[in-house]
Amino acid sequence: MPRRGLCGGLLKFIREDDLEQIHFAVIEVLSEVGVLMEYRPALELLADHGAEVDWAHSIVRIPEGLLQKALLTAPSRFTLYGKTPEWDVKVDLERVYTIGGSCALSVLDLDGVHRPAVRKDLVDLTRLLEAMPNLDIMHQIVVPSDVPELGYELINFATCYSISKRNYYSQAQSAESVRDQVRMAAVFQGSEETVRRRPTFTEVVCMVSPLKHEKQNSEVLMESARWGIPLYIEVDALCGATTPAPIAGTLVESGANVLAGVVLAQLVNPGVPCIYSIASGIMDMSNGAYSGAAPETTLIHAATAQVAHRFGLPYQGGTGIDAKLPDAQAGYERALQVLTNILAGTNFVHLSYGMMEQMLLASYEQVVIDEEIIGAAYRIARGFEVNDYTLSVDLLARIGPLGGHFLRERETREFYRKDRWLPTITDRNTWDTWQAAGGKDMRQAANERARAILAREEPWAVTPEQAEEIERIAQDGVARAQARRQQLQ
Amino acid sequence: MQLGTTGGESAVLRALTESVIGGEAEQAMSLARQALELGLEPMRAIDEGLIPGIMEVGRRFEAHEFFLPELIMAAEAMKKGMAVLEEAIVARGGKREALATVVLGTVKGDIHDIGKSIVGAMLTAHGFVVVDLGVDVPADRFLAEVEKHGAQVLGMSALLPTTMPYMQHVIEELTRRGLRDRVKVVVGGAPVTPAYAERIGADGYGDDAISGVRVVRGLLGLA
Repeated sequence: MPRRGLCGGLLKFIREDDLEQIHFAVIEVLSEVGVLMEYRPALELLADHGAEVDWAHSIVRIPEGLLQKALLTAPSRFTLYGKTPEWDVKVDLERVYTIGGSCALSVLDLDGVHRPAVRKDLVDLTRLLEAMPNLDIMHQIVVPSDVPELGYELINFATCYSISKRNYYSQAQSAESVRDQVRMAAVFQGSEETVRRRPTFTEVVCMVSPLKHEKQNSEVLMESARWGIPLYIEVDALCGATTPAPIAGTLVESGANVLAGVVLAQLVNPGVPCIYSIASGIMDMSNGAYSGAAPETTLIHAATAQVAHRFGLPYQGGTGIDAKLPDAQAGYERALQVLTNILAGTNFVHLSYGMMEQMLLASYEQVVIDEEIIGAAYRIARGFEVNDYTLSVDLLARIGPLGGHFLRERETREFYRKDRWLPTITDRNTWDTWQAAGGKDMRQAANERARAILAREEPWAVTPEQAEEIERIAQDGVARAQARRQQLQ
Repeated sequence: MQLGTTGGESAVLRALTESVIGGEAEQAMSLARQALELGLEPMRAIDEGLIPGIMEVGRRFEAHEFFLPELIMAAEAMKKGMAVLEEAIVARGGKREALATVVLGTVKGDIHDIGKSIVGAMLTAHGFVVVDLGVDVPADRFLAEVEKHGAQVLGMSALLPTTMPYMQHVIEELTRRGLRDRVKVVVGGAPVTPAYAERIGADGYGDDAISGVRVVRGLLGLA
């Protein structure tokens, strides 16, 4: 069933006048309180364009005029390119997409074993994700334990980028890493110039709350912007700990923090796509943990869509769930989170596949279960059409009240296939039929499906020669990063 | 010439099969007429044209490639094509041997029609004569129709837990009037389970339309 580019946004949590208050509170915090930026060239650029910089404390205050200018050049519509046109993602303020990932340290494998992730898991989970029809953007779902910490993102890039046809959601630890990634993409795209014109990957930069841009992040942001690489400018707030406990206050902090990054990116390269992003959660006050699946977290994510769109920016929200197993908790957490985000018009529902245990754990089975949940959620969000044809008055007149039915009508057969969502691992049989088919619960069904997918040897998105060349660039980048660190020591 | 005719025959048989798979009732009828005009034996048109079509539809249904609308439309096409060919058999003084006659209905107090109708359509498509009594059928009527048609199978449907026990009542009535041994009783409907079917003394239970056909064939030793 075609659904790419489905529109969300039916659900609004903020009334128009309240949204106005949040909007102006964000502008006030940005211009009066300011944001700490550790990276000197970022402060200099902002100061050159009229921002007020407190050099002693590295705090920049961005006046409303400068913000508005940046919002004029930051596009509301653009394309994130896949390796083939069918995987191009047309972004605007309405359409809804999903992103996989991100960065789990452990896996729950198909034998039910919980263990540290290794590179083989990154390969297999990426292959599994690649087979999920509702996934739009690929991201590294694990950080393998058998890959060096410094430069790990290059190895992950080489792996995921080579396997997947989808636009790749990357991250970088340095400006040099961004350049290495451009080089890797150029192996597939033909030249660095093509990468610049039609980048097949994006970068995420994660800001610290409250209101802090670390050196490395600004450096990566500025280098990516120079290359025209679209940016997810993300805040990972911990509501009640690193941001105020009221949801409204958390929205204000995140807005100011994200927009400082947007202004910086637009000054570097006016027009570079910027996606207003959060991966925030509430702090669970009983244990201090990040809770991605708390209802309050989902509220934060859904409501932020309105705030981001009010600034004219596409929005990424969504986060992992708290369950440790693909169990009832996992099902309800994921379903509420995904459905609410889609209905709220979150343009990129992030971390929507397989991420559990506050983003520490990736589950193979949950990836397959999440595809099912996302499929059902999309179906709800798609709603239904009302027109002369669907009102079916003529059809009702033809069948009449004399005990007929509609199953044998051509209209039924034509309509239901495009209208109905067909479940894959959901069981709707009666007890006996279900028992006769093995009486499997959803986790078992997901396990079998994941194994079947992994048993198929689908070709990678790049040729073996390209994959080899990309791997060589990644390894070379890792070696340079290590050498640089040794020099510094 | 000979070759051409044979080619025409096999093309028409293939088209008949396709018309059933595609649920094209009008086409099935006109192709059945074409087959007769080509001089094909009506029985051959049924066995090599229509039947492979409905078998393929059953396969696709069980493989979740086809769903109920395709299934029903295929059964309709089968029925329409079959009517043309059976008429020809009768006109030639022959008689199409039905596999068996099945009396079918939803029990008294229950007005749920669809499930039973689907089973009926599938049984018809698979070569059974189906006498569909509709819904809200009292025991007397079931018994009278079984006797009248000399039916080998009685199929009962109930969709409500409250009307389900009436099926047992009908079976008891069959026994009381000495008809029980003459007819195989098959039951179905959402609340009905194989265990329940056994408890009330039914001979078979069908979970869906395709398995219904399988169960009836099995009970009659046709499997």
